[in-house]
Amino acid sequence: MKNLRVMIVDDSTFSIAVLKKMLEKDGLEVVATALNMKDAIEKAKAIKPDLITMDMTLPDGNGIECSRELLKHVKETKIIAISSMMDEEIIEKAKNAGIKAYLQKPVDADGLKAAIEKLFAGEELYQILQDNYEEAFKESVFTFLKSELGGEVELENYQLKYKGVRKSSGISVAVGMIGRHKGRLIIDMSSNTALNMVKKIVQDENQTLEEAIQFLSEFTNVIAGNACSLLNGLNRSFGLRVSPPTVIVGEDITISIGDMDSKSFMIKTDLGEAFMNIGVQKGDESWI
Amino acid sequence: MDLKNINPFIDAVTEILPQFGFQSLIQKGFSEKSKKIIASGVVITLGIVGDKKGNVVYCINQEGAKQIASIMMMGMPVEELDDMAQSALSELSNMLTANACINFSKEAVNVDISVPTLLFGENIELNLNKEEIICVEFDVDGIKMEICVALV
Repeated sequence: MKNLRVMIVDDSTFSIAVLKKMLEKDGLEVVATALNMKDAIEKAKAIKPDLITMDMTLPDGNGIECSRELLKHVKETKIIAISSMMDEEIIEKAKNAGIKAYLQKPVDADGLKAAIEKLFAGEELYQILQDNYEEAFKESVFTFLKSELGGEVELENYQLKYKGVRKSSGISVAVGMIGRHKGRLIIDMSSNTALNMVKKIVQDENQTLEEAIQFLSEFTNVIAGNACSLLNGLNRSFGLRVSPPTVIVGEDITISIGDMDSKSFMIKTDLGEAFMNIGVQKGDESWI
Repeated sequence: MDLKNINPFIDAVTEILPQFGFQSLIQKGFSEKSKKIIASGVVITLGIVGDKKGNVVYCINQEGAKQIASIMMMGMPVEELDDMAQSALSELSNMLTANACINFSKEAVNVDISVPTLLFGENIELNLNKEEIICVEFDVDGIKMEICVALV
């Protein structure tokens, strides 16, 4: 909550004064105030506040129109509507315009504080995820392979040769992670490596490719599941769950990693190497 | 064939695609697959968790995928499936699946979706490990698009 820069849009100087006092008491910095839509848009463009409180009635437009226009210019800014009018129709319109929460005037200090905290909690949580996902997955892979395969297990950072894409080595598995924020794990290895691994783990030389595929699917599932448990242990609000794996098999397949925040690794074992990519993405804030 | 898991996706296609300016949308037949899907071109898969769990897969051939990406990018020519085109197609799959989630919620089924994974190539074998995969084919302005849903 600290260091949040706020702009207040309201046609009443009285309301502005009340809101300013409340926000500053909570440690937020009120960086601008605007009495009308034109002024709001100009100031928001220049200042790019983290948060805007938006009245619904403005002399040269309304709060919905103003929010819609503002969000074209300041996509990262979050808007909370604060208005004396509140009914289902206007709430629906506010949601559609990209407003994140709706509070009715007279707004009480605790209600406003709670709404802002909830709105920005996701940001801090995402930072925690970004800071920790790499370690969680590395630990998960390392623990699994060390206990199941033994021998040398090394994880090296890997730079994708072509921006955002990976040519499959034969078998790839994608597992989605879904919670307050989202993510995805991709593990890719040759059928030979998968076969070598499954033979070693089940101690049976007669394992088939089909069984190797099953192994890799389960391996990826376990890695993602364990890593998500580690992350959920750090902060329960992550609420990460793992979606069923999709196994992709083929000779000439390119996987698009996409433009999410991701890291790639080469997992080196005595039985061959595997590619791993983990990506995370900020989840949508739900309506407050 | 039980269509209750695929209907929310059909409704999503019918609602979303015209918004991008696709003119003709014809729903073709249903088919049923087991465990595996074989496809060539562009394949986008998303995970689903919640009251139902599984995957949805969108399959479009390479040329069709470029055309769809081009229409989504306001008619910008798409010569090859570059970053921008891939991103547009991923976003489309995201919108369709998110809309299907809303449709599920109207039936009191709450599900959430993962980020999409896009792949392209020839003879892509997708193993979804579900006995029953229900597929529906659409003709979108002459482009064949298949949606396969494996949900339990």
